[in-house]
Amino acid sequence: MAVDIYIRRRAVNLVAMVLSGCAAAGGLVFLVWILWITLKNGIAALDLKLFTKITAYADQGGLANAIVGSLTMDAIALAICAPVGILAGTFLAEYANRTRLGATIRFLNDILLSAPSIVLGLFVYVIVVLPMSNLTHGAVSFSGLAGAIALALIGLPVIVRTTDEMLQLVPGTLREAALSLGIPQWKLTTQVLMRAALSGIVTGVLLALARLAGETAPLLFTAFGNNFMAFHPLDKMESLPVAIYQYTNDPNPALHAIAWAGALLITFFVLLLSLGARAFLKPHRSSHD
Amino acid sequence: MIESLPSTVALPSWLQAVAERAGQRTFPKFAVRALDFHYDDVRALKNICMDIPEKKVTAIIGPSGCGKSTLLRVLNRIYAVYPGLHASGEVLLDGENILDARFPLHRLRSKVGMVFQKPVPFPMTIFENVAWGISHHERLSKPDMAERVEQALRSAALWDEVKDKLKRSALSLSGGQQQRLCIARAIALKPEVLLLDEPTSALDPIATAKIEQLIEELKDDYTLVIVTHNMQQAARVSDRTAFMYMGQLVEIEDTETIFTKPNRKQTEDYITGRFG
Repeated sequence: MAVDIYIRRRAVNLVAMVLSGCAAAGGLVFLVWILWITLKNGIAALDLKLFTKITAYADQGGLANAIVGSLTMDAIALAICAPVGILAGTFLAEYANRTRLGATIRFLNDILLSAPSIVLGLFVYVIVVLPMSNLTHGAVSFSGLAGAIALALIGLPVIVRTTDEMLQLVPGTLREAALSLGIPQWKLTTQVLMRAALSGIVTGVLLALARLAGETAPLLFTAFGNNFMAFHPLDKMESLPVAIYQYTNDPNPALHAIAWAGALLITFFVLLLSLGARAFLKPHRSSHD
Repeated sequence: MIESLPSTVALPSWLQAVAERAGQRTFPKFAVRALDFHYDDVRALKNICMDIPEKKVTAIIGPSGCGKSTLLRVLNRIYAVYPGLHASGEVLLDGENILDARFPLHRLRSKVGMVFQKPVPFPMTIFENVAWGISHHERLSKPDMAERVEQALRSAALWDEVKDKLKRSALSLSGGQQQRLCIARAIALKPEVLLLDEPTSALDPIATAKIEQLIEELKDDYTLVIVTHNMQQAARVSDRTAFMYMGQLVEIEDTETIFTKPNRKQTEDYITGRFG
């Protein structure tokens, strides 16, 4: 009787282990497959003119304007969403924790986190691109700035969420210890809690950057695209994801190859950011528990 | 204040005791009067009245959940960090009611320091851990600050162990050293009272012995209140012991009396190990 139970338990354990192992392997297989195909097709088209020539030359050109556009918009987007996100996350964790207001904001933030990115693109089209066009009588309509605002809306909830969670992970006793010395809340937050949660917050910012760097849909109605080099944020701007989207829609196989190279660039950029995030998290984590 | 009352007025018994004592003893550092404490709807402290004498060690003992930590956390109003907690009654520090919202928190907390159960060093260097609190309350020149930090670390019997690594992270210290650093941090503000919430429960016996010895030395300069679940510790370090049970103060007496001939049966049952 007892022996039967043990045999059954071991069998169940074995089945569960095999199933979960297969699932993990399955997920990993697709990840490696994606990386492999991107690498194989991308390397074939990797070439110096990718970085020196613009998309106006089509299959004789490169992606220089898309790379510059992406970097510009990602930087502006980050400059908008990182400070706002960190402050909002701090508000949630330190000032509005365990309040109705905090719970409501957290819920709304989660909705923003899962909002379809094309909806955010349309939203920015309506509140930035159209008014701007009306205001300047059409001189400025689609712009890198509008694209950056749309991207910032993608990154914002990620940063709010991670900052909030990282600050909540800081043990409450640390707060009590500082407050018991008569230290005010703002000093406690900026000089102790932020320091204790710093690596987590930076990781959140890098992950947000990785997330928004790969977005296409919010840029379609905002930055639009531009076959020429544009540095000014009020100009229409090309970006890597949009260039990839346009080139893959083209029948010309030479453009497909360039699209693959662009895909490889984005993948590597995101991979680097993730590795950077990990590296940043590691040496700090062991130091405070 | 109390001496001026006419002797014909019938005083409640606790006040009578205070009035009698007032003539012969120094006025208590803390006078807790009719203190009630609520966690939302739960009444965690019931009508607590007790005196905490100056420059003595007062221990608060009792079984888990009796309210001893809650009482301690009222004394510097650290409970106010969390919403839904409410204290009523009076807690007089040198005659001033600290529960009065007009009593400034930063003044209260610079007068009443606290050391917690788990050592909680700040994520900064050893030096900064001590200097940070001071710099909030006083503007000191660099050499003055260095002297003040050294003084605090010496008082906490930690100086010799850390004097060569003041720039190292406080997190690199052992648990016992971290706890003494927390004590140094608290006394660096030159408080009058030091609250210790089970300060040795996370430490090994050797580190515990060091902290207890330190408590012995500190009572020359400070009023100490220690919450402990360890009755032997209370017997070793304290002058006065309060026994609490289910949110009530059962009795407070000289430590020797509590451990040899307590007035109340409940106290005797607890210290002889019949419950708790």
